[in-house]
Amino acid sequence: MIGFFILGLILHLAAMAIPAVVHDDRLLNRAVNLLNAFALACSLVFSLNSLLAYQPWEMRLALPMVGIIPLACDGITLFFLFTFQLLSLAGSVYAIGYLEQYIERGIRIRWHLVSFTLLILSMQLVVVVQHALAFLVAWELMAVSAYFCIVLEKQRPEVRRGGFWYFVATHASALFLYVFFILLHEKSGSWEFADYARQTGWDAGTLALLLVTGFVGFAIKAGFMPFHAWLPNAHPAAPAHVSGLLSAINIKAGIYGIVRMFMFFPIDRQAFGWALLAVALVSAIGGVWYALAQHEMKRLLAYHSVENIGIIGLGLAVAWLGRCISSPSLVALGLAGALLHTLNHAVFKALLFFGAGNVYLYAHTSEIEKLGGLAKVLPVTGAAFLIGAVSICGLPPLNGFISEFLIYKSFFQGGSLMGGHAPLALLVSAVSLAFVGGLAVACFTKLYGVVFLGENRSKTPPHGHEANSSIPVLVGLATLCGWIGFAPGAALRLVAPAVSEMSGLPAIRLGRELIAPMDELTPVFALLLVMTLLTLVVKIWAQKKAGVRLRETWGCGYQNVTARMQYSASSFAEELVKLGQPLLGLKLHWKPITHVLPEPRTFSSHGFDQVEQGLWIRLDRAIGRALRMLRWIQSGNIRHYVVYIFAALIIYLIIAFAFVW
Amino acid sequence: MVTFSSNPFSWLGFVGLAAGAPLLTGIVNKLKARLSGRLGASVLQPYFDLVRLARKETIYSRSSGFITRLAPVIVWNTTAFAVLLLPVGLFPGPISFDGDIILLAYLLGLGRFLQILAALDVASSFEGMGASREARFAVFAEPIFFFTIGSLALVTGRFSLESIVAGIMWDKPLFPIFIIVSSISIFFLMITECSRMPVDDPNTHLELTMIHEVMILDASGFDLMLYQHAASLKLLLYSLLVTSLLNPFGWLNPAAGVALVVVVLAVLAACLAAIETLMARFRLVLVPQFLLYATVIGVLNILIFTFSH
Repeated sequence: MIGFFILGLILHLAAMAIPAVVHDDRLLNRAVNLLNAFALACSLVFSLNSLLAYQPWEMRLALPMVGIIPLACDGITLFFLFTFQLLSLAGSVYAIGYLEQYIERGIRIRWHLVSFTLLILSMQLVVVVQHALAFLVAWELMAVSAYFCIVLEKQRPEVRRGGFWYFVATHASALFLYVFFILLHEKSGSWEFADYARQTGWDAGTLALLLVTGFVGFAIKAGFMPFHAWLPNAHPAAPAHVSGLLSAINIKAGIYGIVRMFMFFPIDRQAFGWALLAVALVSAIGGVWYALAQHEMKRLLAYHSVENIGIIGLGLAVAWLGRCISSPSLVALGLAGALLHTLNHAVFKALLFFGAGNVYLYAHTSEIEKLGGLAKVLPVTGAAFLIGAVSICGLPPLNGFISEFLIYKSFFQGGSLMGGHAPLALLVSAVSLAFVGGLAVACFTKLYGVVFLGENRSKTPPHGHEANSSIPVLVGLATLCGWIGFAPGAALRLVAPAVSEMSGLPAIRLGRELIAPMDELTPVFALLLVMTLLTLVVKIWAQKKAGVRLRETWGCGYQNVTARMQYSASSFAEELVKLGQPLLGLKLHWKPITHVLPEPRTFSSHGFDQVEQGLWIRLDRAIGRALRMLRWIQSGNIRHYVVYIFAALIIYLIIAFAFVW
Repeated sequence: MVTFSSNPFSWLGFVGLAAGAPLLTGIVNKLKARLSGRLGASVLQPYFDLVRLARKETIYSRSSGFITRLAPVIVWNTTAFAVLLLPVGLFPGPISFDGDIILLAYLLGLGRFLQILAALDVASSFEGMGASREARFAVFAEPIFFFTIGSLALVTGRFSLESIVAGIMWDKPLFPIFIIVSSISIFFLMITECSRMPVDDPNTHLELTMIHEVMILDASGFDLMLYQHAASLKLLLYSLLVTSLLNPFGWLNPAAGVALVVVVLAVLAACLAAIETLMARFRLVLVPQFLLYATVIGVLNILIFTFSH
């Protein structure tokens, strides 16, 4: 079976070579993306088969001059590999149609295709290598290739700005990871992941430093608050197929890292668990609240990624706490919830971003306030986006509900297993999750209602089209949302190997305690579906008998209602946004009407991110000021530089002699 | 373990509840009319309304799409399905499993999601306003449910509605406090979720001031019937939830238990009617405060639980 995976990797390399021989952009676009899709389909055969049969795989690759690089596919790797491959497949197919518009506008996509392939390839390498240095190399490859994917339209300043945010964040993340792995190497004397878990007797200071550097490094990538500021800037800048993959899988590399970290430190420090819980709660609530204030589709969706990363973090925190109180079943519940939510979020977030991409293709804008009524002109996108929106709100019977259900269950189980104030803290977390759910409903009814329902708000109705290649992708992803919702047991079998490795529960007990109760939700949802269909039939029959007419909307007595009088997205969310004032900055620009015959007035509002503006931008300015004080070193006079070189040489010599003698 | 009741009576009970729900609405309306010195319509009036609506022609807005046509069906089914999870007295609901409380809350959430979308589907700013309010108040209403039911789940150590209700015993220390506190916060929740005074006025005639009624302004015929029946079902659902929490049934035989349920329901209806007669609707900006009080009451439970251990 491993042959399929190797074949897949080789085909990716071949896809990167295609631009050297094919010169027509249209042909190139199809060739590279289809070859990637085929390669991913091959690799999926491997990962799916290994997951279901649970065949872990290991190999020590001896490279000339580098040494031995251990590669391994355990349950955790296989699960993430499967998620990455599945969504990359969706992304590759979607890219075919979406890139057409760039070709039409004369933008060269040659290097974009190479970096897109490299991104897909390096994401798979990140999870497979079990060697710290090789991991960092793969991590850098992933980071840099994603950057080049984002800045496809580099002539637009906002794209360059978004790309720069990503670039800085991803390197800050890498910086922490360098410290983390070098420290680990210092303490254990090995670069291999397998050796870290065997290490015992950590002293408290080193351990704290390791946990903090490792967590911050991975949290920046994953987009936990307050490290989230790059997401809402980078996602709108990237083309839709790239923003879909950024949210669906790229940030999940951070989650993979945190799960790996769990394996490195088999310890029972509750403090880390509670800290993770707190960070996750802040991310979940903050993410969704910021999302409410957004006027741009992709920016809004990016904030929802912060929210969902928070929800995943909640499950991980409970799993960590479960290990501290040596309760494997609590570890299993929390981790299963977190990992399943990782897969679920990947599926529906890719669906939503691709849907947003189709909206952009049609209307040439993703400003929510300028859209409206798109469900009628983009029926497939409209229906699929609705499925994605219901899923992301965690509503039954779709997939988001299943993972949130598991996380709720883990809170309640944790509350009854742990003493002290733990029940209170976990109940507050459960309530916060409900609160987040309520805010997500508000946010997605706003987004869907304003963009897809009602009437179009722009003065000149647009006339674009859905990208052809997007239809099978959207339908496929929406089906997956429904399928995981209706048959949760099947999806849980994919996370079971990873859960079993982490919790130490054998597969049989996992099947009985975790999967079987979820399998029983299938008949419950089936009954709901049957009832709904029956009601629908009765309704159609009754309406056929009584008759149906089409009329104008009831205007409550007002005449000449126009589409611009519809409730706008800002008004819909205004009151909730105002309640979030301490967290959210909201700027209103307007002048009140004073005279009897008023002049034309405009009103605009926009929410800004207090963390982004107040913390990171301020930090950036402070660093800039500090460095400005050193500017005199850069005199521009070549003789000074020669002196610097000479001085450096002298200092090195002194150090060298001091160590020799 | 998901249990589908094999007892045909519990499924018949569900049919009975669905059929009886409009009666509760009718009784509340009648009591309200009498309290304010009017004769009022018959308690059966909601039934006449439903039959009339079911036979009427449906009028759809030209702006509307598939959401408007789908939403009433989903709203009715999610509410009805939530009732299926509900125990009545000592009788467990037809469906019960660990974590059914979460499904119950989220089913109602799904109904609300579609209801809000249906309001936005017709391109009317009035309905948009109602939708915005519904979304806003729901954000505060859901935590109340989880605080109250969640703390009871932790107190009793059980996660299905039926076993939570069975696990609440009046004779244990502190439990009477839990029960009274929870009932009050669920009652507050009922007022919000069922659009009763002082949160929403079901009888107002000004679209600007309404929440639930303005969202279904463009619904008619069979669709409106589904919405109205779902609203009565929701009222019954929350009343039964309060009734189940005020649960002295452990001491009684089942028949007496059911009789007691009826009595408690009647008391609740009287409370609702009295509140609606005596109070005016809050200004909308005050509603979140009202919900915050209800949340604080819900928190009491878990505080008592934590610090008594």
